[in-house]
Amino acid sequence: MFWKRQIPIFIVTVIGSITLFGWFIDQPNVKEFVGDDATQWFDVLASFAIILGALNLIKLQLQKVLYQKPGWLYSVVAVFGFVFAIIAGFFVKGVDDSVAQWGAHVTSDGTLFKWMFDYVFSPMSATMFSLLAFFVASASYRAFRIRNFEATLLLASGIIIMVGRVPIGGIISSWFIMYLIVLCLGIYVNSLKQDMKITFVFVAVGVSVVTIGGFITGWPIDQPGIFYLPSIQEWIYYYPNVAGARAIMIGIGLGIFATSIRYILGIERSYIGE
Amino acid sequence: MSRLNKIEDIFLKIGSVDRRWIFIIIAIVVIVPILVPIGLPIRATDTSKKVYDAIEALPKGSNVLLSIEYSPSTKPENHPMTISIMRHLFRNNQKVYITCLWPDGQFMAQDALKQVAEGEFNKIYGEDYVLLGYRPGGEAVVKGIVSNIRKLFSVDARQTKVDDIPMMDGITNFKDFDFLFSASAGYPGTIEWVQYAADPTGVPMSSGVTSIQVNEVMPYVQSGQMVGVLAGMPGAAEYESLINQKGSATSGMDAQSVAHLVIVLFIVLGNISFFIERKRSKKY
Repeated sequence: MFWKRQIPIFIVTVIGSITLFGWFIDQPNVKEFVGDDATQWFDVLASFAIILGALNLIKLQLQKVLYQKPGWLYSVVAVFGFVFAIIAGFFVKGVDDSVAQWGAHVTSDGTLFKWMFDYVFSPMSATMFSLLAFFVASASYRAFRIRNFEATLLLASGIIIMVGRVPIGGIISSWFIMYLIVLCLGIYVNSLKQDMKITFVFVAVGVSVVTIGGFITGWPIDQPGIFYLPSIQEWIYYYPNVAGARAIMIGIGLGIFATSIRYILGIERSYIGE
Repeated sequence: MSRLNKIEDIFLKIGSVDRRWIFIIIAIVVIVPILVPIGLPIRATDTSKKVYDAIEALPKGSNVLLSIEYSPSTKPENHPMTISIMRHLFRNNQKVYITCLWPDGQFMAQDALKQVAEGEFNKIYGEDYVLLGYRPGGEAVVKGIVSNIRKLFSVDARQTKVDDIPMMDGITNFKDFDFLFSASAGYPGTIEWVQYAADPTGVPMSSGVTSIQVNEVMPYVQSGQMVGVLAGMPGAAEYESLINQKGSATSGMDAQSVAHLVIVLFIVLGNISFFIERKRSKKY
């Protein structure tokens, strides 16, 4: 128990404390440990973690195949891919030493590993990501509904970002957007007052004001900027988005700090299975 | 049945259309503009211009660290940025050092180098550019580069000893670089470079990220911790227009523009059908 519990907690507490206080202590040995040695240790451990992860993956997939659990056929493909990658990485280079040395062969043209990357991994990886476009289109069609004020806000900003970010947004005149707003407000006024005369007067006045404004200013495509989609999307990115992102980042930062303190003090022991 | 009701029924039918039709429409609106380009004008945003200006302002022969952290899945977004940045750097005769925080990044870097450094500029490996390759560890690798790059990279991606590479003379840590550009698609990537390298050392950095990452890197751009950002494929297309060399991002923008418009149209149609349904359910 001593080796499994107290020693790991002791190591975490000592290393965690040195790493934390290393930022505030101006002592060369501590600084060297934090900036140099600790990261070297981490690199070595990360390399071992890759081996452990790979072994764990193959163990789980083999278990699925052996016990014929649901979806075991996919596991056969996974095991085959794993074995193939091991062979291509460690045993069959596919070219002479004059073309590529062991190690460098992984990214050298003509090798089995590079072939696997170019003609198996890359297309499959790209396919998986490309499917997102279809699902986003389908999901937005069904789920993006104006149910309440928040949903309307989200929808409006989503549309502005989607259209404003791409070149087509740049050729949509701000005057067109103004006419669109007048018409949308007309629909809102109509649903509120339920009176066609009021709606007609509202829309007529709105359209007239926009048209007169356009004739006076000469219909510049990006003026007034407040109705030009690329300008609005930039504003959304720079202000409401940054405000929200900062709030999330500060929250995450505080959470990381609290969790780190729990680890250093030995309160958090999930890493030893408690 | 009144004419209005008939129109409403049409919208309701559209609202309940099988999703496979949506998939087909999306496929068509993506493929057609790629085959028949529209040539929409590309307007460079301030964030892209800042990246361009920062690289343009670097003196000749500056040491630029280019970090590649993306995989084939985001290649259409990130790769045109990497290629354009490389073109800009090599055109200005900068020394380019490439590291990868993602294992796939090494393949992407090699691909871009083959096209730009070897194919277009005839640059010499080890003198004009070097591919240091991938090391596991995420932010620990970034910290390692900050403290002592030679401890982390004893050999490059070609298994050549770093001490034997001429352009590695005088390079010991991150402060020896004049600029960093991170082509990133997630973790570890741009944010780790800002937090552990650029901000603590004061070395200017910029980044090219996927569209979904823009939200999280924008605070760093606004605070000045990053010099601009290339935001997704539009950012890549903007950079291509800034260096006056069109590439795959520019041709992809037509498809993305039309696809975005169609998705907006879907949203509008979906909402019209939603309102009709709601009105009818209230009535009965």
